Order: sequence, then C-alpha cells, then structure tokens
Amino acid sequence: MNARLLAHTPYEELRDGFSELDLRQLLPHLAYTFAVEKISRACSHQLIRHRVASFSQQSQRYITVKRLNERVVKPPTVDQSETFDELVRKASEAYQKLVESGVPREDARFVLPNATETSLLMTMDGAALFHFFGLRCCNRAQWEIRRLADAMLTQCRDTEPEVFENAGPYCYMLGRCPEGRFTCGDMAEAVERYKP
Amino acid sequence: MKLELVAHTPNVETMIATSMLTTTSGAQPSTLHDRLLTKPEKVREVVGRAEVQHGNILEHNRLVWILEATSDEVLEATLDTSFLTFTRLDETRWLVSGNLRAVVEYAQNRKTPLTDALVASVKGVAPGIHRFLEDIKR
Repeated sequence: MNARLLAHTPYEELRDGFSELDLRQLLPHLAYTFAVEKISRACSHQLIRHRVASFSQQSQRYITVKRLNERVVKPPTVDQSETFDELVRKASEAYQKLVESGVPREDARFVLPNATETSLLMTMDGAALFHFFGLRCCNRAQWEIRRLADAMLTQCRDTEPEVFENAGPYCYMLGRCPEGRFTCGDMAEAVERYKP
Repeated sequence: MKLELVAHTPNVETMIATSMLTTTSGAQPSTLHDRLLTKPEKVREVVGRAEVQHGNILEHNRLVWILEATSDEVLEATLDTSFLTFTRLDETRWLVSGNLRAVVEYAQNRKTPLTDALVASVKGVAPGIHRFLEDIKR
C-alpha cells in the first residue's frame, strides 16, 4: 500500500487572508488530493462509502489484470493459507481464459476476488477528511483502511501540522469514545498514540 | 456582484490529466502525476480530449473565491447549485469554494452574472476547461 498527498489548498494563505474565520470554518474550503495505491478492492469499497469525496479509480473495464497472484493484497491472518493462494490461482486462470476467449474485460472481471489490487485518486475537503480520520484511525476500523488512514494522517501532519495536529480517531479528537458498547476499551493508548 | 479567485490547488489541469489516465492506464497515479508535471504539452493533449460529462475528472481540485454580493444573490446561487460552499464574512462578502465540476455544471445549467464570473475566473488555472465552457456558451 502507498498513500501520497499530491496536492492541497494553501491553508496559510486562507488563514492569513481571512483571519475572521477559525479552522473549523475554513476546513470545508480546503481540499486534499491523495494517490492511494495498491490497496485491495475490499478496501476501496470501504473508502468510497465516504461519499463527501471524489474518486478516480483504475478501471477493470480498460485495464487487463495481469499476474493476479502478484497483484493481490493478502491479509496477515491468511498469510500461511494455501486455500487463499489456490483461490487466487484459479481466479487468475479463469480470468485469463475468459479474456482470451473473447469475453470483454468488463465481464471477465466478475471472477476476480476482493483481494485484487487497485489504485485511485481521492480528494476530500478538510471537514470530510477529519471525519474520515475520526472513523478510520479508530482501533475498531478494519486493519487495511486503518493503515491507509494512518499513512494519510502522517502526511497531512507533516505538510500542515497546524491544521492536523488535532486530527485522529474520534476518541483523540473528542476526548471520549463515541463507539458506545463497541468501544475498544483502550482509549488512553489510542489517544497517546496520536499525540503529535 | 464581484467575484475574485483568491486560492486554488496547484496544477489543476495536471491533476485532471492524472485522473483521466489513472482510470484507463495501468500506471500508478503518483507516477502519472510526477510524469505529467514535467510534460505540459501532454497535459494539454490529454485535457483536450476530456469528456467533461464524466465529471469526476474535474473534482480533484478546489477553487476558492471571495464574492461580494447581496444576500438575495447568494440565496439564488445556493438554490441553483448544491456543490459550492459559502461562508459569510460580513454583510456583503462571502468566502466561496468548490471544484471545477461544480463550476462546469452550474455554468451549463444557468446563465447568470455569477456563472459568467465563475467561468471567467478559471481561465488562468484551467485554460482547456475554460475553452470548453466558452464553446458551450456560443
């Protein structure tokens, strides 16, 4: 997985030009564009549920998936699983056979697994990005999207520390856990981890 | 009514070209972006064949304007388009922002002094898209 902040609105210009506005009021006017690369399709499905965002994703209608076994994301829990590897091999063979027999890529892709790698461009405004970090840096988030959110937050803090020093999982931002009975129970550790 | 572009994300058309090529080429978006930053002629060529009805390619940017307008003029704009964000600065000044898709779709659907000013304001940052908008006005 790779996440890189490619472009963003110049915060300091806006802060200095509109000193009557605080950060919370400026956030919706800021935007951040990331290259998100080599995540699984399972992860990109979670990502696009953040609807106040823009996505341009590699299309399986136009791009042929070659060497699927080298282009899958393998969760650590199945690292030693032959079942996983066998399924990927069979899916790869089926996909190749379908494409070679003339089936359009847009239909052949139906046999590809959720583990298939994908890359995309994603743009979020500042307010949506804070919400994304609130949910996806949380200990309860699924490991791949949490890893992605952490990588994005690190870059945002490196680039604009004044904006993002208070961004992180909701327990860090709010000083309380909003997950109710689903809380991880380890808020103190999470808060400590996200301190700049 | 007066509108001035005061800030924007850098290299707007480079990002449009990156977005277009991301969807159809096997290269990674960061690689495409870095390559395109050094090839302005390639950016012009790719953006020149953009099909702007595929609006998502126009969304990877943010333009920020200062608008001097009456409350009625701003109310009309907010009723016309859901995709521009307005923050009131004082009685007559507003901070407005949105992406190019919001500008293009607003200008395609309505012709007002504000849409004319929005279109004129993007000439410097997205000349290829500006040309498209000028063409549809004719």
